[in-house]
Amino acid sequence: MIYSAWLKKLQSFLIIVFTWVISVQTDVLRPRGVSLSKASLYSPTKDFTCFDGTSTIPFSYVNDDYCDCFDGSDEPGTSACINGVFHCTNAGHRPQNIPSSQVNDGVCDCCDGTDEYATPELCSNTCEELGKEARAKAQHLADLHKAGNFIRLELIEKGNKKRQDMAEQLSQLEKDKAEAQKIKEEKEALKNELEAKENEALQVYRDAEEKERQKKEEDERQKQEKEASEQFSRFDSNNDGVLTVDEIKVGNIFDKNKDGEVDAEELQYFLGDKESVNKEEFMSITWPLLKPLLMMEQGMFRPAEAEATEEAEDEEAEDVPRVEDMDVTGSEDDNLDGDLSHDDAEDHDIEPDNSKSYDDETQKLIDEATEARRQFMDAERAMREIESNIRNFQQNLEKDYGLQQEYATLDGQCLEYEDKEYIYKLCLFQKVTQKSKNGGMEVGLGDWGEWAGEEGSKYSVMKYSNGVACWNGPNRITMVNIHCGLETKLTSVTEPYRCEYKIDFITPAACDDSNYMQQQTSHDEL
Amino acid sequence: MKALCLLLVLTISSTLCVDKNNFKTCDQSGFCKRLRPFKPEKSQYSLNLDTVIVHGNVLSAEVVTVDIEGEKKNVLWHYALKLTALVDSTFRVELDEADPLYPRYRPELALGEEPTADGLKLVSNSNGKLILVNEQGNKVIITSEPLKIEFLDLNGEKAVILNDNSQLVVEPLRVRREKSGDDDEGDVEEEGTWSENFKSHHDSKPRGNEAISLDIAFPDADHVYGIPEHTDNFHLKTTTSGEPYRLYNLDVFEYDLDSRMAIYGAIPVLYSHGVKRSAGVFWHNSAETWVDVVNYADATVVSSLVNLVTGGHQRRVDARFMSEAGVIDVFVFLGDKPADVFRQYSGLTGAAPLPPRFSLAYHQSRWNYVDEADVRAVDDGFDANDIPADALWLDIEYTDRKKYFTWDMEKFPHPADMVANLTAKGRKLIVIIDPHIKREAGYFVHEDATEQGLYVKDKDGKDYEGWCWPGSSSYLDFFNPEVTKYYAERFQFNNFPGTSKDVHIWNDMNEPSVFNGPEITMPKDCRHYKAPQDGQDGLASFWEHRHVHNENGLRHISGTHQGMLDRSDGQYRPFILTRAVFAGTQRYAAVWTGDNAAEWGFLQASVPMCISLAVSGVSFCGSDVGGFFKYPEAEMMTRWYQAGAYQAFFRAHSHIETKRREPWLYDAATTARLRDAVRRRYALLDFWYTLFYEHSIDGLPVMRPLFQEFPREEETFTIDNTYLLGDKLLVRPVLEEGVTSVKVYLPGKDSHTVWYDVDSYQSYPANGYMNVDVNIAKVPVFQRGGTIVPRKERVRRSSALMAHDPYTLVVALDGQGKAEGSLYIDDGETYEYKSNKFIYAKITYEPSAMKYSFVNEEASYPTRSWVERIVIAGIKNPPKSAKLSQGGKQIPLQMTLHRGNDVLVIRKPTASMASPWEILFTY
Repeated sequence: MIYSAWLKKLQSFLIIVFTWVISVQTDVLRPRGVSLSKASLYSPTKDFTCFDGTSTIPFSYVNDDYCDCFDGSDEPGTSACINGVFHCTNAGHRPQNIPSSQVNDGVCDCCDGTDEYATPELCSNTCEELGKEARAKAQHLADLHKAGNFIRLELIEKGNKKRQDMAEQLSQLEKDKAEAQKIKEEKEALKNELEAKENEALQVYRDAEEKERQKKEEDERQKQEKEASEQFSRFDSNNDGVLTVDEIKVGNIFDKNKDGEVDAEELQYFLGDKESVNKEEFMSITWPLLKPLLMMEQGMFRPAEAEATEEAEDEEAEDVPRVEDMDVTGSEDDNLDGDLSHDDAEDHDIEPDNSKSYDDETQKLIDEATEARRQFMDAERAMREIESNIRNFQQNLEKDYGLQQEYATLDGQCLEYEDKEYIYKLCLFQKVTQKSKNGGMEVGLGDWGEWAGEEGSKYSVMKYSNGVACWNGPNRITMVNIHCGLETKLTSVTEPYRCEYKIDFITPAACDDSNYMQQQTSHDEL
Repeated sequence: MKALCLLLVLTISSTLCVDKNNFKTCDQSGFCKRLRPFKPEKSQYSLNLDTVIVHGNVLSAEVVTVDIEGEKKNVLWHYALKLTALVDSTFRVELDEADPLYPRYRPELALGEEPTADGLKLVSNSNGKLILVNEQGNKVIITSEPLKIEFLDLNGEKAVILNDNSQLVVEPLRVRREKSGDDDEGDVEEEGTWSENFKSHHDSKPRGNEAISLDIAFPDADHVYGIPEHTDNFHLKTTTSGEPYRLYNLDVFEYDLDSRMAIYGAIPVLYSHGVKRSAGVFWHNSAETWVDVVNYADATVVSSLVNLVTGGHQRRVDARFMSEAGVIDVFVFLGDKPADVFRQYSGLTGAAPLPPRFSLAYHQSRWNYVDEADVRAVDDGFDANDIPADALWLDIEYTDRKKYFTWDMEKFPHPADMVANLTAKGRKLIVIIDPHIKREAGYFVHEDATEQGLYVKDKDGKDYEGWCWPGSSSYLDFFNPEVTKYYAERFQFNNFPGTSKDVHIWNDMNEPSVFNGPEITMPKDCRHYKAPQDGQDGLASFWEHRHVHNENGLRHISGTHQGMLDRSDGQYRPFILTRAVFAGTQRYAAVWTGDNAAEWGFLQASVPMCISLAVSGVSFCGSDVGGFFKYPEAEMMTRWYQAGAYQAFFRAHSHIETKRREPWLYDAATTARLRDAVRRRYALLDFWYTLFYEHSIDGLPVMRPLFQEFPREEETFTIDNTYLLGDKLLVRPVLEEGVTSVKVYLPGKDSHTVWYDVDSYQSYPANGYMNVDVNIAKVPVFQRGGTIVPRKERVRRSSALMAHDPYTLVVALDGQGKAEGSLYIDDGETYEYKSNKFIYAKITYEPSAMKYSFVNEEASYPTRSWVERIVIAGIKNPPKSAKLSQGGKQIPLQMTLHRGNDVLVIRKPTASMASPWEILFTY
């Protein structure tokens, strides 16, 4: 019973399959599921050749619910071929191509319901309705773009103005720079001149110091010689003017490692390869080696290891300020408004020693030179400030603010979005951050990178990259999808992929009615 | 789903590696350390021949331990032995203390139904030996001193011997002596008897030692198999020089490969196989268990011990089970073919019922699809890419902060609509429900459980608190029938709003996983419900977790199963996925191999792991396709999809920290290959469904080792990268990186078996190993000559939408030009098939005719499907014409012969599958 009922259905099904459809809009007769543009490829008067050319079949095999072509081209209107395509006209709405796997599967995919022809009662034709909706939506969007476009034009104007201003400011800065350069050179010349005078005056004092120093050195040398000579005599027990191995062996002081005897190694140390040393040789070779041992013996000198450790520690301690110096130097480039007092430290080699007292004449020269140095540094600083401003302006001018500078005025503007857990902040052309509502650090979700829209709509997506690295993962990035809207605000923030954020952002800057219309037309062509 | 607390996650490096320190070695497990070196020097077990009674199918007798050190042979302890004959060459041997201090636990849910009795006759009782025989003619010889039980096959040869090595131990329960001043009284208790420590965890062991052990010998065996779940080869290895195989359900974070460590599942069934016969034992015990294996063929052990015992090379494998608690309760299967032992086991624990058809299709999961829009986008992604999918999954993040039976209303404000969107395309939703309950005031489950006392208790009787996903958590005590009832009610549609019959359940973490517990599970001295009985108080009034541990997950899924049945008044078949596994799990749920990683080794391991589970009753097995941890590049992803398409449970899943990997996120060529792999599955879905129907009847593994079908072919005994689906398809997935050819073993040379490459219909006579070229699109699958496989070539968005699509029947001829197959059709989701609303058809092909006939003529199903194509491969003498005969009508058919590979295609027979038909050939 069931069987016969189904056989009937099956037969009627097959009849349906063979039925030709006449398109509502045109009189072109074509097999089911074939688009107008491909209709000519299906000619009932000829055998059908698969599009891929692999085989030719009787035309009655087209749409007979059995797959004959590898490319599925013989079954445009059935589900028989796994890789086939079904075309629905969807009169009143947009036409559509769906995979054959969706034909007669009990789901209405085409708004005209033609994909479910085996069960005609299943799908009603909703194309008019959907088309209307779609057109209304399109109209709404067009209106929105139109309205937004006015604001956009303002933005463009402002943007261009801003850029123009910046360009003007830049050229002013270039001029300022030339001026500042001139001042700097003048101040430098003055400084050099006064420093020469200062130097001359100070030379008198330096010469005196040098004399004093030389004298001290000579005294010291004589003292050393005397001491060495005394020691030589002390060990030269036979007073023959030569210190021999035997004489040295009796001297405890030569027992460097304190093992109770002066061994070959120790002899080698003090005498080199010689068997003996005369007084001259003693003075030049042995004495410098012996002296520390003597001092140690007298408690004036500590062993070498201890010394080394201490030195190392000292070095470390000194390292700290050095690092700071570097930091300060490093930040100079970024931050010219910062305190520049540290600059003074760089010039210490020229500066006279403030602790000394000089005669009035000299002191006057010093004061004049100091003032000149200060003025020169001021000039230098002014110069750097201008250069930095120039760099900033140049960078901003190089930034891509859209085809018509429509995004220029938005640079630096920050917008916030709150969800259940976080507050997100997008500072346009700068960075994206996230902060937990429960407190904690602000997390960088990316710095301004580039426009990343697909070809043809480059300015529809912004990419902020190189955010804080995820644990065990990549650096966070944020994609900002830009849509047309009358206000400028964030409409949603999500994290569709781990550490990859998506922001929806509306702004009038994206409302371009001409561009929009163009896009719509191209969509329709698909 | 994932395994461990984030604290631990923070400590892992980029290479995956289990932290072995978290898990016990035999030496760290008190009873294993105690029993493993046991030698029967002091005492032996003897059967008291005077006490033997054979009544019906049961022999009972007293067994005593006797002091063999002294002259007097003092009796030390009394035991009760029971030997029961069961149908299908199965015996059961139980040994408990004659009068235990407290009852000892016996698992309650592992056996499907009360086993069916067979006849048992005492044949003789002389010379200290009893000889018994069952109705099938299997003899049992019991030697009284020392106790030894030998089971003989039908040829009268020893197949299984219990206690041949005198490793039988049943530690008697004792009363703990209060420590008093004078210590001179009696023997000193061994350290660890009344408490044990592991890392920072203390086990109070209130009942002291209660372990058991038994050795089982398999004469003539080449290998033993089973005792899943491990990552080792399918054939078990000699453990003498290492750790024994361990059975203790554990949530092992980043588990090791090639390991005998315990992981999520524990099925204490072990099979032996050799050319002569197969046999097996089922160790009916839910406590922590260790299994030692000695294969006499292993050179490493042959040396001293074995030679001494056997006097030379011998085929034999010994296994020894050691459990922390319970009684000796072992089922012996006498085979004698592999299929027989597998059936004997599944008959005992219950064959898996017919699953809903969608569950055999492709599943898409991720921890986590973040919100409704994400679910929608993934759902649409499949359609946009013309890739079928039957189910989308939601991991723990869908809940309101890990409170099960709730939704995160921010992210999933309209669950019912979301489900409706899926079901409109024939798809289902699967959501996770874990057994831990968030301890949060105001959470209804927690409040109910606290008020009604539904939680597992700690050693002092207070609600046990552990740490899991929600933070502080307690655990429903599924051993209490009231808890199961309460829990099952949670699945009522009005109790779990947003769910419908099309929402199915994933039960994860049910080992149970406790992040701060010993070995990441529940302390062994936690207390479970025990049905109150007169006179049983104190320690006798509850079970300790140690007694029931491996059964915990089974209790959980049985509760879920009950809930899902009840919610639809028993109309619809539930689908449940579980991670914890025990004997009997297959009656309720499918199993996946837990938290693997995107590494070739894990792809390789998925095959032996699932074969091992399949022969142990769980045919519905799969691994996370693509790997849970880490990211699979295109080649690995492709190979994993291709392998997954031929494993029963086919689900892609991934960890929350990993890169997204839906099939269309790869390059277009890879996406196309993933599509192809999924389509391969859908084309064979009705074949799979038929296999699972047949499994529900015969209990035979769906995914089966080669030796099940070719038991005398020795090379097949250790092949575990190749398997059969039913007796029809041979699958050797490509599991290796960068290979351009693989060796495929085609068994059946002696029986002149022919195998057909399913892609080309090219035939290959079986001749052992063969090289097969495998470009990235190739999956070596062969259809056995003599079989018919039904396919559906019109692959759609979901299996439900394909229900009435036409079939392609692939007939692969054997040497005689014959073939046969079967096909099962029903509505795919209800229990109507139990009221004869189904078609189970036999399809036969002979040179004269091809027939489609109903096995059960009472049954029918109004399918609209029909035959669109018949492909006959290996046809040497093609017929000249063919006509279809159905319903009294005869229709001539069109045929095309492809000379190149001897394939005959019958074009569009349009025979309806709703009634029998016949195609007659003329030559």
